[in-house]
Amino acid sequence: MTMLKFGAVLALIGLFFWLFVFGPFYASLSIQLAVFIIIMGWHLARFSLRETISVLKFCLPFVLSLFVFGLIFHLMRLFGRSDWLQDTLIKCLIFPSSLVFLKVMLATITYLDILNLPISMKNRIGLITMKSAFQKGEKILRRFSWYLGTYSGLQTHGRIRTLLRKYACLIIALYLYLYEEIENSNRLLKNRYQHLYEVEK
Amino acid sequence: MIVPKNSYMLQDRNLNFDVVDDFNFNSDNTCYYLRGGNGFGKTSFIEKIVIPALKAANRQYLYIGQDIRTQLYTLRALLSMQGHKISDTNEYELLKIWVRQGQTARTFILDEFDKYFPDYNFIFDWSRSFIQNYIIVTHQSFEPAHAGAEGLKATHVRFELIGFDGQVKNVRVRKE
Repeated sequence: MTMLKFGAVLALIGLFFWLFVFGPFYASLSIQLAVFIIIMGWHLARFSLRETISVLKFCLPFVLSLFVFGLIFHLMRLFGRSDWLQDTLIKCLIFPSSLVFLKVMLATITYLDILNLPISMKNRIGLITMKSAFQKGEKILRRFSWYLGTYSGLQTHGRIRTLLRKYACLIIALYLYLYEEIENSNRLLKNRYQHLYEVEK
Repeated sequence: MIVPKNSYMLQDRNLNFDVVDDFNFNSDNTCYYLRGGNGFGKTSFIEKIVIPALKAANRQYLYIGQDIRTQLYTLRALLSMQGHKISDTNEYELLKIWVRQGQTARTFILDEFDKYFPDYNFIFDWSRSFIQNYIIVTHQSFEPAHAGAEGLKATHVRFELIGFDGQVKNVRVRKE
């Protein structure tokens, strides 16, 4: 049953990417807009309005920078192309859609599912650690962002420059957090498993 | 006036503050000690009312939050981006570098910092030359004797639960 669930989740992720990211519906702006709305609605139903706004806020700087570059390329008619704006708008929808779709799909896999997988305990611990760290990481992002907003050392003359510096810091902080969190959780899980295993023996 | 006496509602936290005294958090040479039970909104008051007010008044500040372990990741990121070598730096050294580069700040906010560093005189040693006032959230009932805080006027602020309005907690904030 667990294998079936894993298989279905992976197949759905594959299908989504094949259809909307690399495949036949990539170039259709109206379909991408519909997919975006459906996925955001799904996220809203599965999680909360606050979390949905938070995910959108997380995507906003990336989407905005994509849009700005797309607009510049469009106005410059870079490489003689006149479809930069259309292509940029599609990418601006695909990025949050695929991120949120992945998040919702992976959230359906529970810790119990991982425990039921027919793989070695070492690999199970690895998967559990990853899931736990990324779950925490998502929540902590908001807090990191808040703290970074209080540092005057990040302020520069331009607003966009300040924002870019903030996001660079955010990514570094998240990386440091995930690195340490994964290491610590992994050590803790291994230690508990070894202890329980010895007690059972 | 940074936080004038008024009623402040925080919808998302289900908190309503009845601030009965004016709080001039930019007054010089003052150390504010904020006290009150758990859940009375001391941190929310700092993060949702005091810090936005300081920002609006364009007053630079340093803030060390209650979840310092989380904050340290952002400090590591910030300092490494500024070119500091922080790979083998402990918490104390990280804070020292950060505080020392925050010379433009005039207010220093510490939220239950004594939980991690019961003796935090070092904060005053590092910052007293440029910080004009401190806002300290603490559960300690006594006034800590900070050698470095000599010359600062202590102002005690009490958070008291008045009652509930449905799910909303009404908290009075007053000077003692």
